[in-house]
Amino acid sequence: MRTLSYGIKQGIKNILQNKGYSLASVGTISICIFLFSVFYALFSNFESILYNAESTVGISVFFDEGLDYMQIEKIGEEIRACSGVKDVKYISADEAWKEFSSEMYKESDDLADTFGNDNPLEDSASYEVYLDNVADQEKVSSYISGIEGVRKVNNAGAASASLSNVNILITYVSGAVIIMLLCVSVFLISSTVASGVRARKDELSIMRLVGATDFFIELPFLVEGITIGFIGAVIPVVIFSILYRTIIEFVVNHFHMISKWLTFIGIWKELEVIIPTALAVGIGIGLFGSAVSVIRNAKEVIE
Amino acid sequence: MEIISEANEENMIVMDDVFVEYSNGTVALKECNVCVEKGEFLFVVGRSGSGKSTFIKTLLGEVKPISGDVIVGGIKINKLRRKRLPYYRRRVGVVFQEFRLLNDRNVYENVALAQRVIGASERFMEKRIRNMLKLVGLENKINSFPGELSGGEQQRVAIARAMVNKPAILLADEPTGNLDPENSWEIMNLLNEVNKLGTTVLVVTHNNEIVDRMKKRVITLHDGKIVSDVKQGGYLQ
Repeated sequence: MRTLSYGIKQGIKNILQNKGYSLASVGTISICIFLFSVFYALFSNFESILYNAESTVGISVFFDEGLDYMQIEKIGEEIRACSGVKDVKYISADEAWKEFSSEMYKESDDLADTFGNDNPLEDSASYEVYLDNVADQEKVSSYISGIEGVRKVNNAGAASASLSNVNILITYVSGAVIIMLLCVSVFLISSTVASGVRARKDELSIMRLVGATDFFIELPFLVEGITIGFIGAVIPVVIFSILYRTIIEFVVNHFHMISKWLTFIGIWKELEVIIPTALAVGIGIGLFGSAVSVIRNAKEVIE
Repeated sequence: MEIISEANEENMIVMDDVFVEYSNGTVALKECNVCVEKGEFLFVVGRSGSGKSTFIKTLLGEVKPISGDVIVGGIKINKLRRKRLPYYRRRVGVVFQEFRLLNDRNVYENVALAQRVIGASERFMEKRIRNMLKLVGLENKINSFPGELSGGEQQRVAIARAMVNKPAILLADEPTGNLDPENSWEIMNLLNEVNKLGTTVLVVTHNNEIVDRMKKRVITLHDGKIVSDVKQGGYLQ
């Protein structure tokens, strides 16, 4: 317990004595974790948008004129048999007209009434096809186009695919940037700790001679690394939380059209992932960087 | 810790046919046979390069002999695992020519370092440090920094640090090497006092005047070999 308390005190003292290096290390870890948080927020929000697209945007399948109920039913069975199809919903011509007219003429019922009992969408009965994965739209659409009796297939493939591509791009770019910054962080922490080891060279060699164990000598440097990592994790999480809330509020209040289409993930849901990841990454690289440095420097300096 | 069967419990140091060679091929100690009793005071003398420092380093476990055994306080240190070495060193006090004090810490903190290493409580530590500083005559300098002390006083602080954990043996490597004659005598008198309290004291020195006047046991090294071991000897020229 006393060793631990000594290690903590000395570790914090090391940080204060080595302010320049410590600040640089904290800064790099903070940038790294902040970027992770931003990329994660983008990724998770895109995921959420894609999920919504998957569950709300379907493929519309229209039939050749004059098909009877049995033939339409047969097309439905063939679509259901296609892999990747989650659900198939039949929309009759009447239902299609009702939905269209209620959207189109909702503020002027008189116009809709001019059609009387006629249905301008008489040949517009269709199937709405929902998929397990939005990325399969093109594949499934082309399969359905080949079914006999199918006149036209409409899908939101381009939009969905580009969303999906953006998400993949975000993942790769963020992954590369984060890995690069992690390496820089480890390097900076090891340099910080190495400079601390060199500054305390005399003390360490005396400690060794009066019977200090390796753990007693190394603990302050590990505490230094962990503390730098911890601070480097807390700062960006706080900044990210404030920025995320502010940006979401701004978008919701100023861009009604966008916010109607996009549902943003709440900050606490984001933090459920970001806080433990940030702490694990910060403390992890702090510990790893300091351990590497202690192993490389402490032994050769004091022996 | 490996304790050997103690055929003679009176022995504090036993070196049995010790041979030390450094990686560059320099032979530092050879055919080294020494037996030092508990509570003894002895000098190890010899010219530069005769193996005096290696002698101390071997006793500290810093240098491992290629052959032979080194037994200190019943512990065969040449067979000691690296992990156990710190616990052995807590039983051995060591003082150097250049004092090796931390200039950014006061007298109390310099002595406290040895106590912190063994995990002593603050209360226990304070009492022991005050007593130790009283023994070395520095109770009034407890808050002074090394830069504010004379060479003799700095060496006293180093002795207090070496003795604060109550070691069974005190090794002093040229403890008067940086001191004027007056301070040298003060330090030797202090080491004598420490010895009278029961601690085995081994002093490596060049100072023939001190060796000749103190009439203690003297081991003389030449080219890594013990060439003389006299009970109440003097400095061999």
